[in-house]
Amino acid sequence: MTSRSKFRDPGFILTIVLIVYAAIVFIWWPTDIYMLEISLVAWLMFAGLFFWFLLAIIYSVWIEKIESRR
Amino acid sequence: MQVTESIILLIYLIAMTLMGIYFYRRARRSENDYFTAGQSINTFIGAFAIFAAVASSSSLMGAVGSGVALGVPYFFTYAFGVIAILPFSMFLVSGQIRRAGVKTLPEFFNQRFGKPVQIVSAAVVVIGMTFYMVPQLTASGLIGSHVLGIDYKTAVVVLGLGFTLYAALGGMWAITYTDLIQGSSMLIGIVILALFIMVDHNGVVSLINDAMAVDPAFGDITQPWMSYFGLFIAFLWFGIISPSVVMRNFASRDARTARHSAMWACLLYLTLFIAGFFVTAAGASMGIVESLDNTDMIFVSVIEQYLPAILGGIMLAGLMAAIMSSADAMLLAISAGIAHDIYKEHINPKASERFVTGLGLIVMIAASIVGILIAIDPPGLIAVMVGWVGGFLLSAFGFPIVLGIWWKRANMLGALTGMLGGSIVFLILIIGRWLPTNAEPIIAAPISLLLMIVVSLMTEPPSQETQAKVDYYHTHLENR
Repeated sequence: MTSRSKFRDPGFILTIVLIVYAAIVFIWWPTDIYMLEISLVAWLMFAGLFFWFLLAIIYSVWIEKIESRR
Repeated sequence: MQVTESIILLIYLIAMTLMGIYFYRRARRSENDYFTAGQSINTFIGAFAIFAAVASSSSLMGAVGSGVALGVPYFFTYAFGVIAILPFSMFLVSGQIRRAGVKTLPEFFNQRFGKPVQIVSAAVVVIGMTFYMVPQLTASGLIGSHVLGIDYKTAVVVLGLGFTLYAALGGMWAITYTDLIQGSSMLIGIVILALFIMVDHNGVVSLINDAMAVDPAFGDITQPWMSYFGLFIAFLWFGIISPSVVMRNFASRDARTARHSAMWACLLYLTLFIAGFFVTAAGASMGIVESLDNTDMIFVSVIEQYLPAILGGIMLAGLMAAIMSSADAMLLAISAGIAHDIYKEHINPKASERFVTGLGLIVMIAASIVGILIAIDPPGLIAVMVGWVGGFLLSAFGFPIVLGIWWKRANMLGALTGMLGGSIVFLILIIGRWLPTNAEPIIAAPISLLLMIVVSLMTEPPSQETQAKVDYYHTHLENR
């Protein structure tokens, strides 16, 4: 296995996706925008909860495809 | 004393103990049985086992308590970090570390880096997990004293020894199967509580408005940015750095089962936190947080306000389940750290499996007594204590584990320096108190990463045999 193939690993790619979403939330940090009187920060995190589960499903399906090729 | 709730709580405790006795013989057959349930756990049981190990008193009482006290964005920061635990550990370590075929986290460090790293990591596991039991015992004492009408110290001792008994007798077998009951009881309990709250407040929008009417700052960011970010980072890494959670991967039938268990555990956790939001809003709408001695107890107040006695008893048993299912996993990690990683590996390699499992049983009881003695006079709020231990383990273990799996060039001296450097810097920051609460790993973990990379590059690379092992951890990448 080369270093290059490790960067193409679904786990590595989806970790980057996870970090990018978290970075958007924490760098943007929109404390002055509200929905239903609750800070948009909280809503972005609430949406993130579903996004994390979606990433877990994508990872499982992706790895299954790779393993079925073996 | 609340009679109905007390009876339900006692029935629950007796049922758990009986399961420990039932699995006693099976667990004592071999080390593999005692520490990893024979590496035979399927996806369904495994999902509940991971969920129950991760979902602790901090997930329920701590998250709701701090959400009511510090605003709903703080609650969602908790959820944001805690639910990310499962995909994050799936992507980076679950399948790979299961493929290593080890029983414990220090054994993985031995396989990848050598014995010195195993000894240091076993010491970190024993210290970290012992202190991590303290907030769990504190939570059980708070609930026990409230429901059973006994004083806090007695409740800590009785309930602490209660979960120690079944964990010590039945090892990973009892812990995994009690997790199935504990995970489902906490999940069903909190969903029922959320439904009662929704009906009582006529829907979500009305519930939020009721909370806002009592606490206008409920929807606001009330703490420094660093407190939220530090909390998120400490939890995000928890599935990778907590031996009590990582050991669940070792109990899985194979790498595929470990991955699937983590995926479904993610859904269980998502459900728990959505229901938890309703509990947080209901807690805020009650307007009693200022009058409580301990904000972590707001969850219990919500249960008493919204649920009839029998359902309240089941939900309180669910809270106890959350605490016990995490604390028993910590006990097993401590037990394996001393009996397997230190005694069997370094002191008496010829020790029989029966002797090692017997030693594991004694170590569990001893560790529980130490935890109980500290919890009798706890050093802080549940959420803060959990943050300290999570930060310590992240600073010590985070990068040695991830780089050990993903970077062939990482070597023994690099791992040792990163592990010791990260944990020492973390302890200095805790003692110095220069940073906001729970922000210490933001400094200590990158220092561990830097030390590990620099020292590894300055010293000899690992042997070809070790580098081949790293390739083997990633065998699903073959034939691409």
